[in-house]
Amino acid sequence: MPARRWIPYAFLAPALLGLVIFRFTPICLSLVGSFFGQSIRGDSIFVGVKNYAELLGDPAFWSAVTTTLIFNLIINPFQVVCALALAMLVRRPARFIDVFRASFLLPMTVSIALTSIIWSIMLDPTLGPVNGFLRWAGLPPQPFFRSADQALTTLILVATWKGAGYWMVFLLAGLLAIPKELDESASIDGANAWQRFFGVTLPLMKRPLAFVLVADTAANFLLFAPVYIVTNGGPNGATQLLMFEAYQAAFAFLNHGRSLAISTIILVIILVIALFELRLFRSEDETVA
Amino acid sequence: MSSLSRRQLLKTGLAGGLALATPHVARAQTTLKVVWMGWPDNQVLPLMAEFEKRNPSIKLAVERMPFTQIFQALEVRLNGRTPDPDIYIVDSPLTASYAARGHLMELDALIDKSRFAPAGIGAASYQGKIYSAPFGSSMQVLYFNRSLFGAAGVEPPSADVAKRWTWEQVVEAGRKLAKPAENLWGFTFEQQERPYQLLPLGQSLGGVALSPDGLKASGFIDGPAFVEGFGFMQKLYTEAKISPPGQFDTALTPELFGSGKCAMLLGGTFIFDTLKSKFPNLDFAVAPHPYFARGKPVTPTGAWHFGVNPRSTQKEAVAQFVRDMLSYDMNVLWFKLRPYVPTLNAVWQKENATFSSDMWKIAQSEMQNTALARPATPGFREYEDILRVTLRDMQSGGNVKDMLTAAAQKIDREIAKYKG
Repeated sequence: MPARRWIPYAFLAPALLGLVIFRFTPICLSLVGSFFGQSIRGDSIFVGVKNYAELLGDPAFWSAVTTTLIFNLIINPFQVVCALALAMLVRRPARFIDVFRASFLLPMTVSIALTSIIWSIMLDPTLGPVNGFLRWAGLPPQPFFRSADQALTTLILVATWKGAGYWMVFLLAGLLAIPKELDESASIDGANAWQRFFGVTLPLMKRPLAFVLVADTAANFLLFAPVYIVTNGGPNGATQLLMFEAYQAAFAFLNHGRSLAISTIILVIILVIALFELRLFRSEDETVA
Repeated sequence: MSSLSRRQLLKTGLAGGLALATPHVARAQTTLKVVWMGWPDNQVLPLMAEFEKRNPSIKLAVERMPFTQIFQALEVRLNGRTPDPDIYIVDSPLTASYAARGHLMELDALIDKSRFAPAGIGAASYQGKIYSAPFGSSMQVLYFNRSLFGAAGVEPPSADVAKRWTWEQVVEAGRKLAKPAENLWGFTFEQQERPYQLLPLGQSLGGVALSPDGLKASGFIDGPAFVEGFGFMQKLYTEAKISPPGQFDTALTPELFGSGKCAMLLGGTFIFDTLKSKFPNLDFAVAPHPYFARGKPVTPTGAWHFGVNPRSTQKEAVAQFVRDMLSYDMNVLWFKLRPYVPTLNAVWQKENATFSSDMWKIAQSEMQNTALARPATPGFREYEDILRVTLRDMQSGGNVKDMLTAAAQKIDREIAKYKG
């Protein structure tokens, strides 16, 4: 019946409508807005590619691009490895395994803003309990977020504390979907734990890993709250990520065109990297197809 | 008791519905949306309650925002160019920025200039017209913990402005008082990253913070006086180690001082009462703002004003808010709730018993002799934010001259849009 052909679309329509309203429309508006400037009194003025040209000639922008790429080059693989390690740890049924699974998931329930505040207090160089513990243990106190050398690393660790448990859930689902027989037959054939992991488990985890890596990349490129709340992009630009640069342009420097141009560039970078990651993790059956 | 018939029920429901639907007509009440600073309840709510009591036809929907977020949040709201909020608090040096961008209503018709200190009117004006209502100014004093000074055998500073301490004396005393390993500090600024509090370091050495037209920072904020002044500040954290680094929350530094963890605090007059009430056993006194031995005393000033959104549709009510909040009674109440330096002349004249204390004698003298307002520029929002992050970063080390030059270039880039 011809009417039946429309049924799937009818079911998809609400979600598609949501995507159009809350995703595609803002992206299009952002793209259009990046070609406009603003008069002091708020009137929009068409400026063509001026915002992009100014960005390309601005060392502060390139510094933020470099910091963002370094940050993502480290945090994305690190978070995926941590999430996979956690998923492997809680994969087997054991006593109190649900307690462990829940405890790894707990940071996910804390908002990113609260996470930032909690860790900024914990890692405060002067009053923070972490340095109090280090002093008690006879170790030198650390500056953490207050040092240009340590701030980005500290940010990566805090973001991983919050994110690893979340990504673990997806990888755990992937691990539990792998038939036990495959692992057992490899074991009977004499494969040790490492060989089983690299020869059996990992190839079968390509799809969940690809999803987690792409989603994690997008999330980390858009990371904003800890930088805004804790470091303000400092010290000395050490945590000046592109999202914060876009925020500053819009709300501190009142330059909306520049902000939207940066947002568009972030989107393009995420798209390019996500496509690369998907290609990297493409499974053999997809390649053949 | 007989039950209601269906008709009676319908009538009752209809009457109730009509009553609910017409409360504004019955009470003719206007609600003003007010964005205010996130000061404690007991410093804000009595002021707003008093206004509502004096103006029963106006209700205030007050939204308070923390100091660290209020400027960004206001930017978002104001750039929406809607009538919300009707009234908002204005940091006085931002008056020009808001006025230039059409976010403040001209208030000349509502404010009698002769009632206010000229400095207050100056800070409220842009291009010769008043755009924000002067609701107080500010002055900084050096709070010191008498017990800690006594225990360390250090002679405390005098309250006499003629005998004010130099920064060199502050460092010397701070070294004797600080024990960083025990989290005991010698000195801290109340606002460790804010140009408001730190600009006088360079100004005391003769520096000028921005070009006279307010549109160029290079050659001014990165000049030798500021390099030396801010370099001195950096050494408080990196070499002398008498100041606790990273305490950017302005609520934390008075806590450090109040809890006896810091011997000296350079802070506003407005925290005096809070220290007294929150730390009743704290034995402290005040002294004048320090200066450099080879420079001159300079103190920061300016404070919170409030302004009217020109897009507000409640013109009568906002005018009444401005008039009433600037009345003598409301100014005295505000002063008692949070003791900013009054800008209304009558408060100084009629409340002279209050101003006989050491702190107010110092404040009065500083207002007349050493107070210097922050630079007047429509780009103050950008200027302050870029400089704030740079001052914050300096605590962690780095070449002060290079950092200031980079900041000055960034400021120039951002405030260029106000030229012409």
